Order: sequence, then structure tokens, then C-alpha cells
Amino acid sequence: MFRRSWRHAAAATAALLALTSITACSDDPAESQDLSENRAGAMDGYAVGTQFKATEPVSFPILYNNHPNYPLKNDWLFWSELKSRTNVTLEPVAVPLSDYEQKRSLLIGAGDAPLLLPKTYPSQEEPYVSSGAILPVSDYLNLMPNLSDKIEKWNLGPEIDTRRQDDGKFYLLPGLHEKAWHDYSLAVRTDILEELNLEVPKTWDDLYLVLKAMKAAYPDVYPFSDRFSQPNPGGNLLNILAFSYGLQGAGWNFQHTSWNAQAQKFEYTGATEQYKQMLQYLNKLVSEKLLDPESFTQTDDKARQKLANSQSFVISANAQAVVNDYRPDLSRNPDAKIAKIPLPIGPAGEINPADRLENGLMISSKARDSKNFVAMMQFVDWLFYSDEGQEFAKWGVEGQTFVRDAAGKPTLAPDVDIIGLNPGAPKHLQKDFGFYNGVFAYGGKPELVQAFFSEEEQQFQEVMNARAPRVVPPPHPFTDEEREQVSLWATPLRDHVYQATLQFILGQRDFAQWDAYLAELKSKNMDSYMETVTKAYERFRDKNN
Amino acid sequence: MVTVEAAERPTETPPRPRRRRGIQETRGYRVFQVANGIILTLVVIVTLYPFVNIVARSMSDEAYIIAGQVNLVPRGFTVDTYQLLMSDSLFWTNYRNTVFYTVTATVVSIVMTTCYAYVLSKKQLKGRGALVGIAVFTMFFSGGLIPNYVLVTSLGLKNSVWAIALPNAINVFNLLVMKAFFESLPVELEEAAAVDGLNTYGILLRIVLPLSKAIVATMVLFYAVAFWNSWFAAFLYMDRQELWPVTVYLRNLIAGATGAENVGAIAAADEVQAEATLKAVTIVLTTLPILLVYPFVQRYFVRGIMLGAVKG
Repeated sequence: MFRRSWRHAAAATAALLALTSITACSDDPAESQDLSENRAGAMDGYAVGTQFKATEPVSFPILYNNHPNYPLKNDWLFWSELKSRTNVTLEPVAVPLSDYEQKRSLLIGAGDAPLLLPKTYPSQEEPYVSSGAILPVSDYLNLMPNLSDKIEKWNLGPEIDTRRQDDGKFYLLPGLHEKAWHDYSLAVRTDILEELNLEVPKTWDDLYLVLKAMKAAYPDVYPFSDRFSQPNPGGNLLNILAFSYGLQGAGWNFQHTSWNAQAQKFEYTGATEQYKQMLQYLNKLVSEKLLDPESFTQTDDKARQKLANSQSFVISANAQAVVNDYRPDLSRNPDAKIAKIPLPIGPAGEINPADRLENGLMISSKARDSKNFVAMMQFVDWLFYSDEGQEFAKWGVEGQTFVRDAAGKPTLAPDVDIIGLNPGAPKHLQKDFGFYNGVFAYGGKPELVQAFFSEEEQQFQEVMNARAPRVVPPPHPFTDEEREQVSLWATPLRDHVYQATLQFILGQRDFAQWDAYLAELKSKNMDSYMETVTKAYERFRDKNN
Repeated sequence: MVTVEAAERPTETPPRPRRRRGIQETRGYRVFQVANGIILTLVVIVTLYPFVNIVARSMSDEAYIIAGQVNLVPRGFTVDTYQLLMSDSLFWTNYRNTVFYTVTATVVSIVMTTCYAYVLSKKQLKGRGALVGIAVFTMFFSGGLIPNYVLVTSLGLKNSVWAIALPNAINVFNLLVMKAFFESLPVELEEAAAVDGLNTYGILLRIVLPLSKAIVATMVLFYAVAFWNSWFAAFLYMDRQELWPVTVYLRNLIAGATGAENVGAIAAADEVQAEATLKAVTIVLTTLPILLVYPFVQRYFVRGIMLGAVKG
């Protein structure tokens, strides 16, 4: 433990030092658009619908997140087909998935990063912005017709704006979803529901009644015992509840600020009336012994153990956990059935809280000096943002890994398997061909995103997609000084919110003390924090409107 | 101190006949023996239980582990996880790497540490304090991750065993223990050897080292275990998976099974390795070889560290 935290601290410090030392050099804006020196291999009339093919063979180094379920192979059809279609060879630098982010940070800090840095989640690019090590990709959108087209067609402007930094540029090429893809919710033992003649709960209030009925039938159990509590207590539960109460996020997705669309201003999430209400709801569950108080401290294994032994009936879940964890855990109980229920509805109404931005790519600034720069941007645009490129990365090659039916809908070739769709098939789409690879295939149209989802998951998505997308908060990028200042306030504030959250839920603190709690937040600079956020928001609004 | 006590006790205890006459003593001694036996047995159980439990888990069905029903005996016996792991050629490649890295790095470390420690043990050496200071300084301060990375990379060590062996060649703690050991050797021996015409290297190789088997064995064990378990240096400097040690491989495998990324893992179980079993199998496979080495060097191990520490 000690050694790891020491290393982290050392890494962070060293990264800061190294980054500050690179900072000085920033580009002249006029120079950034003169690309005449960088067109080697680029296509002249590249546009939406054009198959990108470099006019000369080119190669680009790429950081590669090596997934243990389909370890990197150099003879994958993906590489050779990519080469023959686009004339591009990718040179992967393999990094174990377990520590991908740490290595990426190290390589960027050391100035040794490959040109393409995929699997970067939104906001992970922020620490590198001020160093100048990462390319402001928004300056080069004109080289990326497919990306621009999708942003416009899918109306992703507001989402993209959240990625803009104080200079009005964005540094990440995010993965794009046409429809929000929300995964996390609760899983419920449906056989218990049937046994007690209960409906699947639609709202959080329904859930309360269901839990109450379960408790009445099984007085010895806590019907709801939750997992995902490490490192943050109630990681998932608090988060999905916060969504349902119209907040930006809590738990493992802790968000200091939430956007109040009616008042057109930011509020401190942990101090809002909605936050209080959701804590009161959880407190009600705990005080009536419907929710296991250990939910907020126990390990995942412990929670699964309770579920497996029928000591609880409700638990946080995503699609994967239901299939890989809960059903196998319950397999020794032939009557047990468990399913993920659509996200319960709260006061905020029927919303789909998922973000439509996915992980995506950063590009090293040094790529700008390459003579193949334009070709590289076109290539990235084709592979990650064109319909053909996305289909290629996911499905592979027609006739080899997939076939089309009369309506043009792709299905797997009979000798190719993925997630058990063609059980017993000799070849595997990921392991043997390198397609449907987390580094290259994500996002896109719902048909594509959900292509390999099970039926029940597709139904879940159908319900969720019928709900309104959540309101995207306006951008409020900090300057470097603000970011530094705010990060000093952030940790004590967050710790205090976590602590009080648990105290209120578990009944160790009475809700009569809510005002005292607000005063404590104020004493921890909540107001200054919100002032800075508001200032940043207004500054950005005035500058870019 | 401990060694001295242990050595003196037998001579202090009265000879047998007298002890037999003194009933009081015999009973006390017997009580002591019984209590000692019980306590030590408990210690053995407490120490062994986790190992046995891990082995049992590694051969059990995931469902039983999650239900908390696996103790000493495997339940729902299965060796699927072992088979799955061992059928992967990358696993064996990486295992071979681990052995190779461990052996190379240990040899390098032993040579370097011995040389440095021997020099530092000579009290007449000028600038000895400064040399010790240089070593100790690195115990508390380091250049940091990125400068280290830049250094190793620009020396062209990346993707080679030297990136693992050289930067970690001297562990300062081990160095000081070894220095203390050398200092405890009688000076007269070396003086006699010098009189007989041996030069410095001859003294080190023919007199000092043969007398220092204990400490060398100890250091071999310390270094070997450390290199065997280490993954960080390899993670930093190895850009190809064929070069990873097995620790990185297994670490990645567990991260994949715990679903750090869920693209591609949604829906029907696609021979996803059972996570709890996988962890146990991993522990068994990585600790087993080192466990097997222990009994053979253990006696040196104990003696070695005592001898170094007494004088230190």
C-alpha cells in the first residue's frame, strides 16, 4: 500500500514538474492552419462517404490498451485489412489494461508518447491541457468531415461544448453515441416478486413498497443489501438516485456542482434540497430495516454472498454483473431468478442520465509537425467516425467475419463467435480477428452499439432510450489558477459531503441539523467554490456566445 | 542478543540427574513444553490456514467461494481456471521471462551489492562516509518516476532485461546489512591473508566470500523474492507483451476479469474467468516456486540476518 501510494505521489509530482517545463512553447495561431508541409499521404477530396486511403504507405504509433481476454496479436485480420483499405500501418505500444492510465500519464510526461492516445475518457485530458503536450483537436475539425457531420446530425454540440477548455478549444476526440447508453441500475429477484405478487417497481417509491412487502414476508432479511461501496460508499446507489432527483451525480461519480436549468445557475450538489430529499429517502429505507446499513461499507464479495444465500433480494447491477456474477452465484438455487430493472424514476421524471460522450482519443502535439499530419487526421476520422470505419472495427470484413441478410443487416459468420452468440464456433471475433476491440470499436448508432447485446439488455435499452436525455450543463472551464485553487477546496468539501451523507442515511445525524451541515460546508469554502464556478461559466458564456 | 541467549541456555540448565530429583522443576518444564507446543501449533495453523484456503479456493467453483463456503477443502472441485491459464502460450512466455529476469537481476544485484558493501566495510577507506551517504541518500530521495523513465529510455535500456536489473541493482537496506556483516569478520583473517600475499581481490574472493555464505544466501533470497514479485519496472519499460513477466500478465488478467472496462463483456458469459477462483490460482502459481526455494535456504536466511544485525 505504502509503496503504491508513494509511487502515485511521485508520479503526480514528477508529471507536474515535467509538464510545467514543457509549457513555455505554444503555437502561433496563424501557423496552425498552414498545413502545406504536412500533407504527405493525405487525400485531396476526402469527405463524408469517401473511403480513406493514404496516397503513400504511412504508419502511426498508437498506445494500445491490451485486454487480457483478447491479447494483442500481430497477425489479426484487423491490421492487415486496415492496411489494405487505408494504406496505414498502426504500430501499437502495448500497455496492460490494469495500469493503462498510469503509463499514459508517464509517457506524456516524459515526452515519449505515441501520436495516438486512445481509450481516454472525457475529463482525463484535462491534466495535460496546460502543458501543451496534447493537440487542441478542435482547430482541425475541417480535416475531419465525418466527425463534424455526426456532431451536427446527432445534435451533439452541447455535449462537445462541455469538453471545451478555457481557451474555447477541446483536446479530446470523444467517442460519440447517437443515443445515450445507460447501464447501471438495480437487479431484483423476480421470483420473489412473483411469489409475493408484486410488480416490478417503476419508481423509487414503488421500490420502497416492494422492499416493505419483502420485509413483511421475510422479516429476518434486509431485502436490499448493496455493493459498489468501495472506495466510495454507496458508489452506484447514490449516483443513480442523484440522477433520479435531477442532480449531476454523486457516489462514485461525485459532482460538486449541478446545473439548475430553471434558475439558470450552478448549485452545490451536496447542499441542494434534492440531495436532502434523497438522503431522507435512504434514511427511511435504513430506519425501517429495508436497506442493509452495511451496504455502505461492505465489500462487493460480501454483498454478493448475501444475495447468493438469499439474505437479500435487491442489489446494484449492470448488465455484466447480472450475467457474470449474480446468475452464476444463484445457480445452486434452481428457483432463483434475477433481472436488471429499468432505472427507477424519481422526482426528476423519466430521464436517461447517460452521457452521450464515450472514451476517445487524444493526439500528441508533436503529431502536428509530422509530414503525415493531415493523412493521420483523415485516417482517425475514417476509422473512428465514419459509418464504414465503425462497422469495420466492430463487425470486421463482410464474407469473413460477418454476412448481411437481404435487408443489409449484418450477422456473424457461422464459424465466428462472440459472447456466446455462435456457441462452438471455431473462431472468435476478438481473439482471432481483432475486431470489436475496445480500443477501436465503441459508440455509433444504436444498432451498432447494441449489436451484440442480449435480448433482455436490448429491452432495457429500449425503455431507457424512450426517456428524455438529461440536460447537459453548460461548460464552465477553469483557468489554470482556478483549477489549482478549486482543487484545494474540492477534497475537504467532498470528504465532508461523503461523511455527512452517511451520517444522515444511517440516522447518526438528525435532519434537523441540515442547516448546521450547510454551515459546515460554507466554512469549507463552498461559497468560494461556487463563485469560481459561476465566474468561469459566465466568462465562457460571454466569450463564446 | 538472541543468539547469545540461545547459545548460553543449555549450559545453564542443570544436568539431567539433578533435574529429575527436583520435581517442581520438571513439572514447570513440562507445563512449559505443553504450553509451548500448543502455542506453536496455533501459530502454525494460523500461518498455514491462508495458504491451504487459497489452494482450496483455487480449485473450487466460483459460486461456493462467493457463498463463503470454501475453507480447507475445495468445494465443487474444478481445475478449469488452471487449464485456461496454462493453455495460454503467453502465460508460459511470461513465466519464462520472470525466471530469466529474476536470475539475471539477482546475479547483477549480488555482485554489485557485495562489491559496494565490502568496500564500505573497510574502516581505513578515505571518503567512506561520503560513499555511505550517497547510498543512504537514495533511500530517502529519488529523482522521481519521469526522470527515471527518461534516463532509462535514453540509455537505450527499454525493452531489455537491463531496464529491470540495473536501476534496482543495489538495495540500500541490503547493502547496509551486508556491510555490517563484513565489518563483523575478524580483521586478523584478512591481515593474515595479506601477509601470505593475497591482494584485495584475492582476499575478497578466497577468504571473505567463503566465510560469508550465510549473508550471500540471505541476499540471494531477498533479491530473488523482490524481483520475482516485482511488476512495476517491467510495466514501465516493456512495450511488448512477449516481454512482460508473469506478474504483469496475471495482474492484467485479474483487471480484465473484474471488468475495469466493459466494452465487449456485456451479455452472455463468454468464458469469463471466475474472478475469485482466478485470484486464488494467481496466488498459487506465483508463490509456489518461491515457496519451494525457501526450505533450502532458510537456515542460512536465519543465521545470516542475525549475524549481520548483531554488530550493525
